[in-house]
Amino acid sequence: MDQDLVTQFKNKYETLAGIVHLVDTEDQAAEAVLDIVRLEQCRQVALGSLPASLSARIDAACSEAGIAVVKPPYQRQQLPQAMHESPVGVTWAALAVAETGALLELTTDDALRLVSALPRVHVGICRARDLLATHREAAAPIRRFFSQNKRNATATFISGPSRTGDIEMRLTLGVHGPEVAHAVVLGRCPDEADTGDKGDRHDAP
Amino acid sequence: MTPHDRHSRLQDRIEAALKRKAQRSALSVAVKRGRDSRRAALDAIPGGEAFREEVRAIKLRCLEKQQELIERFAARAKERGTHVFMAKDGAAAIGYILTLAAERKAKTVAKSKSLTSEEIEVNESLEAAGLQVVETDLGELIIQKTGEKPFHLVFPAVHKTAAEVAEIFKRVTGENVPHDIDAIMKAVRRYLRPIFLNADIGMTGANIGIAETGTIAIETNEGNARLVSSIPDVHVCIIGQEKIVETIDDAFQMMFAHPVSAVGQHLTTYVTMMSGRSPMGEGDSARESHIVILDNGRSQMRASELYSDALNCIRCGACMNICPTYGVVGGHTFGHIYPGPIGIPWTAEIHGLEKAADFAPLCVSCGLCMEICPAKIDIPLMIAGVKDRASRRQPHPLINRVLMAAESMAKLGSATAPLANRSLQNALFRRGLEKFVGIDRRRQLPPFSPQTLTAQFHRRGPAKIAGPKRKVAFFTDVYANYNAPELGMAAIERLEALGCEVIIPPQRACGYPYIAYGDLKRAHKTAQKNVAHLAPYVEKGYEIVTTEPTAAYCLKVSYPRLLGQSRRSLAVVEHTHEYFPFAAQLENDITASEQSLLAGRTYGFHIPCHQRALGAGRHTVDFLQKRGAKVQVVETGTCCGMAGTFGLKKGFLGYELAHAVGEPLFEEFKASGVEAIVTESSVCSIHLRQGTGMPVHHPLELLQPAE
Repeated sequence: MDQDLVTQFKNKYETLAGIVHLVDTEDQAAEAVLDIVRLEQCRQVALGSLPASLSARIDAACSEAGIAVVKPPYQRQQLPQAMHESPVGVTWAALAVAETGALLELTTDDALRLVSALPRVHVGICRARDLLATHREAAAPIRRFFSQNKRNATATFISGPSRTGDIEMRLTLGVHGPEVAHAVVLGRCPDEADTGDKGDRHDAP
Repeated sequence: MTPHDRHSRLQDRIEAALKRKAQRSALSVAVKRGRDSRRAALDAIPGGEAFREEVRAIKLRCLEKQQELIERFAARAKERGTHVFMAKDGAAAIGYILTLAAERKAKTVAKSKSLTSEEIEVNESLEAAGLQVVETDLGELIIQKTGEKPFHLVFPAVHKTAAEVAEIFKRVTGENVPHDIDAIMKAVRRYLRPIFLNADIGMTGANIGIAETGTIAIETNEGNARLVSSIPDVHVCIIGQEKIVETIDDAFQMMFAHPVSAVGQHLTTYVTMMSGRSPMGEGDSARESHIVILDNGRSQMRASELYSDALNCIRCGACMNICPTYGVVGGHTFGHIYPGPIGIPWTAEIHGLEKAADFAPLCVSCGLCMEICPAKIDIPLMIAGVKDRASRRQPHPLINRVLMAAESMAKLGSATAPLANRSLQNALFRRGLEKFVGIDRRRQLPPFSPQTLTAQFHRRGPAKIAGPKRKVAFFTDVYANYNAPELGMAAIERLEALGCEVIIPPQRACGYPYIAYGDLKRAHKTAQKNVAHLAPYVEKGYEIVTTEPTAAYCLKVSYPRLLGQSRRSLAVVEHTHEYFPFAAQLENDITASEQSLLAGRTYGFHIPCHQRALGAGRHTVDFLQKRGAKVQVVETGTCCGMAGTFGLKKGFLGYELAHAVGEPLFEEFKASGVEAIVTESSVCSIHLRQGTGMPVHHPLELLQPAE
């Protein structure tokens, strides 16, 4: 990972009408999520499949603030309503691409796709060290993900909020999916904040 | 239908389209933004246009082994539990989907945008069977509610104003929808949500199929395909078989090529790559996916030497953003189901020659679609093929036959020059020429010269150049030979002054009108004759030089394609040059007096379409700047409208449309503050002079000493 990639990603994602938060620790990430939820004045947040400790921190921060948290495992009966009723959805991105400002979501459960597709606000969290420079570099990890999941698997690039220009070519956000998109990049100073397993890239949590 | 009927019906449709001013301006903004954004995006990335080579290589490789890839794709998808159905035509595809819908007792179908589903008119059949079908792409939804076809491939409803859209949704939802975009958007979101949440079947197309993993990739900016492919229990994807590529890496190239070509985006906001169908939460089981692989004439296209190139289309819509006439009349006039330039061969092959022939004459053969196409498809040649085939059922209209015989006409005009020129100035004669031949009486025509360039040159004889630096075989084409021999002589003398031995070899006019109007047999014959004339000179060390951009284009781009890349045609390609790039190679330092020859002059340079494929006149601009002139390229990024002889024709399929296309460019020139326009094309210059009222010069005319 290098700082240039973080900057490049941030610039690109923000030109696509997204908002980037650079944080060093999982606590700060949880705080960023809570800030967003508060800003949106909503009472329920849906979580995707996040790393356990991050999930726990977000859950704790939100619960403490009186905000309901729905999280996996999701039951078939609650879907898709649970996601539709959550104004904010928080998901994990296995990778992100600096060149395109895209988060890569890898899932084997469509419930998790809905967390980033149905709520009005989407927050994608990725690790700074999982940033790739170019779109092409994402081909190998996706190939690995599809071969590890012989049956069903979905990979989705997400770069910013849902947009349309279908009326008078005017850019309008959120007609179909999220109107607001945040990306939280975790561990921008890995030497200080992260002593974990560098170099071994995690495709999925 | 007689050709006269077909052309007059098309003329009526053009006339009606030209009257819809608000639509025209919306369309013109849309296509210009598309091509400008594309340009800006490519200028900003390393490699720029180079990706087009890769896209073409990928498409050709995958097309070559298409059957194998279809089978691999199907096998991999089946391993993942997906049902795969090979549909030989639309009826088979629709039959499969109707049976499925009946078995699942489905009532509603939510769709995301799929041109392939429109190709076979799925919606109509499903609705006839009692299903509710809702397009969820906003543009598609708007036109679905008004019963129209897409006006533009990427912006299907670009012709609708916000106020019109508000009224549509007022009717659809029963709500009061104010006429502002935010309010409309909120109403649409409220309308679509229950459809996303409750649809029984989600139907999508696919931008790419990946054989390696049995994956479909769907690109959207709205994210509607994500919802349609995830929530309903049944997902149906209709994919044209030509969309299947070999590897994930191939798919990645396409994911970039689509949006960058369409609107200058690196990637659409959402790219969904689905391998098999995932469950929805714990305790879920009954979710299924179906992929319908559609042939519907594609195998036949693949077997055709001429039309197989159309299968390389990745459906980006870039050709629509640059096509001069499409940009004025839009997809309802310029299209059947498939619109725009690439829509002509696709329509001919999928929906029938007659349907394609109804709008094929709108193609003016400027060649720009091939220059912007990410797969470098030779769309103009395929369109020429469509026009040619159509002419075998119904002969070309007289005016097109006359214009294809331009050289014979010019020969006659030159031989009878005093009379011919007087006649061209005579209003009564011009009225007759319009009525009986079809040349618009308002069009200014250049006078003929009583003596051709060739005759003058041969009377003068070749200049003796001791130890020539280069040997040049000069290709005159029509204008320099029959109308402006002084221009041709100036060009030749300048080459001689630069140390070239110049001759005028036997030759015919380049014959581009045969391609433009669609007589491939004569086009082929002309190419053959000229290559037979010129190749021996190339073998003797001559370089072919011409002052006419279309002639250079014909020799370098069209002939090798017409002649199957024959060895001799390729030798001609390699040794053919536009005038100024060639002269630039020979010109060293110029004298101080020549350096200030054009000091203080300000010119606006016009790039003829065919020159865009050859280096866009860069050397010509340099040449003038070196002589002290201030030169700026003035352009809209598309054709001026003249398009060779197209703008000579009377009425809406000619003069009127040529002017409608040219208007924005005329305005640019008039606003540019330059004293005159400079262009190398003999025909563009007529149109620009008439459209702007400004002086228009060939660059060589500027070098003549002032009188």
